[in-house]
Amino acid sequence: MTVLPRALPALLVLLGAWQLIVVVASVPPWILPAPVQVVQALLEHRRTLAVDAAVTGGEIVAGLLLGTTLGIASAVLLCVVRSARRWALPLMVISQAVPVFALAPVLTLWFGYGPGAKVAMATLIIYFPVVAASVDGLRYADPGMLDLARTLGAGPRAELWHLRLPAALPSIGSGIRVAASVAPIGAVVGEWTGSSRGLGHAMLQANARLDTDLMFAALACLCAIAVALYVAVDRALDRALYWQADRLHLSSSPELLLR
Amino acid sequence: MMRSRFLPRAALCLFALAFAGQAHATDDAEPVALTVLLDWFVNPDHAPLIVAEQQGWFEQAGLEVTFVEPADPSLPPKLVAAGRADLAITYQPQLHVQADAGLPLVRIATLVATPLNALVVLADGPIRTIADLDGKRVGYSVGGFEDALLGTMLESHGLTLDAVELINVNFSLSPSLLSGQVDAVIGAFRNFELNQMDIEGRPGRAFFPEEEGVPAYDELIVVAHRDRLAEGPDAAALNAFTGVLERAAAFIVNRPEQAWKVFAASDADGLDNELNRRAWRDTVPRFALRPAALDGARYERFAGFMRARGLIDAPPALDTYARQLPGPPR
Repeated sequence: MTVLPRALPALLVLLGAWQLIVVVASVPPWILPAPVQVVQALLEHRRTLAVDAAVTGGEIVAGLLLGTTLGIASAVLLCVVRSARRWALPLMVISQAVPVFALAPVLTLWFGYGPGAKVAMATLIIYFPVVAASVDGLRYADPGMLDLARTLGAGPRAELWHLRLPAALPSIGSGIRVAASVAPIGAVVGEWTGSSRGLGHAMLQANARLDTDLMFAALACLCAIAVALYVAVDRALDRALYWQADRLHLSSSPELLLR
Repeated sequence: MMRSRFLPRAALCLFALAFAGQAHATDDAEPVALTVLLDWFVNPDHAPLIVAEQQGWFEQAGLEVTFVEPADPSLPPKLVAAGRADLAITYQPQLHVQADAGLPLVRIATLVATPLNALVVLADGPIRTIADLDGKRVGYSVGGFEDALLGTMLESHGLTLDAVELINVNFSLSPSLLSGQVDAVIGAFRNFELNQMDIEGRPGRAFFPEEEGVPAYDELIVVAHRDRLAEGPDAAALNAFTGVLERAAAFIVNRPEQAWKVFAASDADGLDNELNRRAWRDTVPRFALRPAALDGARYERFAGFMRARGLIDAPPALDTYARQLPGPPR
């Protein structure tokens, strides 16, 4: 792991500045707690935060799997079935105008206060970016190759399987990367609407009790989950799409971000 | 905020008095602007405020009051503490938590002098007594102390908080109960949610915290920043404010029908509906008739309760977070 050593100095400088501002300006802790207080809260509540993080992390991963699977499947369907393309695609674009946040209370009523509503929310938020990226990948397959395949008598299935899908993989990969970075939003929105556990729930509770330091501690856990998820997905995609030449050598993106 | 605006005005006023000779300070003085953050969207709980505004009583007292509805009821006191607004409507139990956390807030008036919070179940449901909640799901809105309230109520029936599953339903109290997602809700307002459920054809049954071991408290209070209570124009404006509240409360209790018409006419979009009409009837007897009066012993008793439930450490001196203003000049 070269990520951590490079990230650490920058992070420490930022935290130092934060601590300095809080101490010098004597900001009340209920407005902005010092990083030291946040770390203390993190340690003090590590047990409950770990449980909450596991709950939220599970919801995010489940939403990511479901949203990605549904997204890719929908994209393939749109690519294969012409009428689906004609009728469903505009609808899908319009559906993106509905803010997921506004749907959250209804989803909670339908799926209950368990993990269902949160997974549904994460799935919804992930679905469209994956569909859009996958459809783009599928439709921009090399026309020369497609012509050649047709001349050689390839059927639509062979065309999809041997030409369009392989060509679309890098695009699908981009869609999944976006999905990995927005999935936590869905899970937390779901937890804010109704929950008995999870980091979103911990944040609401801490906010109402004016435990601002605990709120920041929960936020830090959420950030850690989000970054870890992104790095994991990014690495996995790079391994899976090994033949795709990475001319910018972005393969391990966090290093790039901190370089 | 107000201070910086007021001083030039006061100077101008003195100037006018000195040179015009016969100017009336109270008539000619520009009104003092007060921003009041409500705890929730406008509803009959806010009747004294709205009625006073409609009747022009704030204006007569030299105040120009603006009401703001928040998106999150935990925000208004923090905004007042941070100096972003003049007054906030909040809840007494929250005040104790805020005082404990060091927020410079002081209660200056009471709007609703009894608890409104209640534990509500479906009237036709299986829960007849609090003891029936064993193993059930209870929804709550994060207010920061609902679990303490519920814990006390359960303990008076031989249960503990561990006997129930608490679920944050974030203000969807009636929907979550009606849809069967939870078996009971705590944090429902007896004057509002009970009527709402009744109108939906699913009447509820309420258990009242103050009858189940929780000390009585003021559901809705008005808080100001501590620095505004010193002598001077700010303190005078707050005094005038509590005076107007008293006038409005008396009017509402004396003439509930007339007051309802004034309230309902205050907003074109929808205060005049069945729910608010019923909530009005149930709220009128609960308004503080002496809004400025402070029952110190009652506040200290509740602080003791909050401490015993582990929600606050040592309660600070009462005077630092709740005061009785001297009232408007005669």
